Amino acid sequence: MGMLIVIDQPAYGTWAGREALDMAFSLAAFDQPVSLLFTGAGVSWLRKDQDPAGIDQKSVAKNLAAAPVFGIEAVMADRASCQRLGLDAGDMAAGVTLVDADAQLLSQFDQTAFSA
Amino acid sequence: MNVIHTLHILNKTPEHPRFRECLGMLGPDDALALTENGVLALAGGQPFGLERVYALRTDLSARGLSATGATVQPIDYPDLVELTLEAKRVISW
Repeated sequence: MGMLIVIDQPAYGTWAGREALDMAFSLAAFDQPVSLLFTGAGVSWLRKDQDPAGIDQKSVAKNLAAAPVFGIEAVMADRASCQRLGLDAGDMAAGVTLVDADAQLLSQFDQTAFSA
Repeated sequence: MNVIHTLHILNKTPEHPRFRECLGMLGPDDALALTENGVLALAGGQPFGLERVYALRTDLSARGLSATGATVQPIDYPDLVELTLEAKRVISW
């Protein structure tokens, strides 16, 4: 059932996550079924109230908010990673589903790719 | 305030191997300055066992974090420069 793109890199300080998001948006723009999974340090993408003006960057959260517009099927976050990084549902941007990133989840997708 | 023996400037995410390596090297008279993705350590809420822990304010707000614990002091770049001058040694991880 389509492609899963996994973002396990933090939101700022590296471009890997943004590149993975661009890939997901491109796939969706060409009507390919694609979902996003945030895990490990990647869950830092999902915290509310990011204000990166001081480091001269744009908010990745705003970027990610465009996911439904592009037709991304699901935006998921690994439950255990969220717990480890102190991120509860109240701290999280809207539209994110908590899941367990395990073999069962990955088996639902034909292809899975990680952010570099 | 007594002199900082070593100032550790840590910019790696907690998942980076060098993050753990840095924590293992902290001495009682050392100070820790979290910058860039190093500030993500504050989201987990684990104590560092150090009296002086600082975090760059711009990197905190970029990631939607705040230095809520009284043990962590938010700083700006000029403060970081002061700390490097105050410390006998500096390690940039």
